[in-house]
Amino acid sequence: MPSREAWAIGFAAQSRSDWYVYGRLTADDQIPACHELHYLQMACEKIAKAYRCRDTTASLEDLLKRHVGFAKFIGSFLASPSIKEAYRGRDAQLRQVAKLARALAREIEKLAPAVDRAGSPENAEYPWEAGDEVIPPCQYSYPRLSLLTSPGGRTLLKLVARAIQDFQPPSPPP
Amino acid sequence: MSAPQTKDAAARNLIQWHFTVEPELREVYRMDDEGSLEEPIRLLEVNAASVPTGSIEPFGFSPTEEIPFRTVIAEITPEELETVRSHPEALPEGWSLSRAERFIRPQSA
Repeated sequence: MPSREAWAIGFAAQSRSDWYVYGRLTADDQIPACHELHYLQMACEKIAKAYRCRDTTASLEDLLKRHVGFAKFIGSFLASPSIKEAYRGRDAQLRQVAKLARALAREIEKLAPAVDRAGSPENAEYPWEAGDEVIPPCQYSYPRLSLLTSPGGRTLLKLVARAIQDFQPPSPPP
Repeated sequence: MSAPQTKDAAARNLIQWHFTVEPELREVYRMDDEGSLEEPIRLLEVNAASVPTGSIEPFGFSPTEEIPFRTVIAEITPEELETVRSHPEALPEGWSLSRAERFIRPQSA
């Protein structure tokens, strides 16, 4: 089986690529929002997995099988030394950022069809039922994610970009 | 600001900062051996603003100039902490609440 380090590097690389496609899709107004959100969700999930692979106490097999929550990741990332450095002297601003980032991260996580399908069926990939109707993602406006375009939402996106940019693979064991 | 010179000082600096910027952070359990420079700083943080998932997911972060040690942070809700108390096997391998150093929210934070 490939090493933990190899998996971490692989997840980070794929996250970086998903993030790039996300950026390309947001630049085209003709493409339905679901497609860009799908790539955003995938980029977020994979960078969370990359950082998760650095936890050497967990079984690698479990890590690969289990869903890793982006919402949990963003909480830990906000507490990371990197963010401490980035927000030096701006604690009050970070408190505000953290509140919205946590809320939006949960909404991004729910875009995966496997997450909270009963409570929040509005995912970015597959149609869902709403009363007597079937709603395809390409015809849905995702109002709960409209905050992504607000200043706070853009800050969350910058946090995602920073997490991807900051990622360094774990050191090999001595 | 000069960088803390020891792992213990860096861990305490990081924990103190977490209480400052996270209003819902209730307590922090430091899980690592402070004398081991190879072992990362490992923190289990009990935060009411966290999302309950029923699992403990530690994430690893790189050192910085100010915190020059690898850091692993897992966040759980107060309710998840109660579950961990009754099912300590849910903790990652090598983590133990009874052996951890506990930091509670300072009155001033």
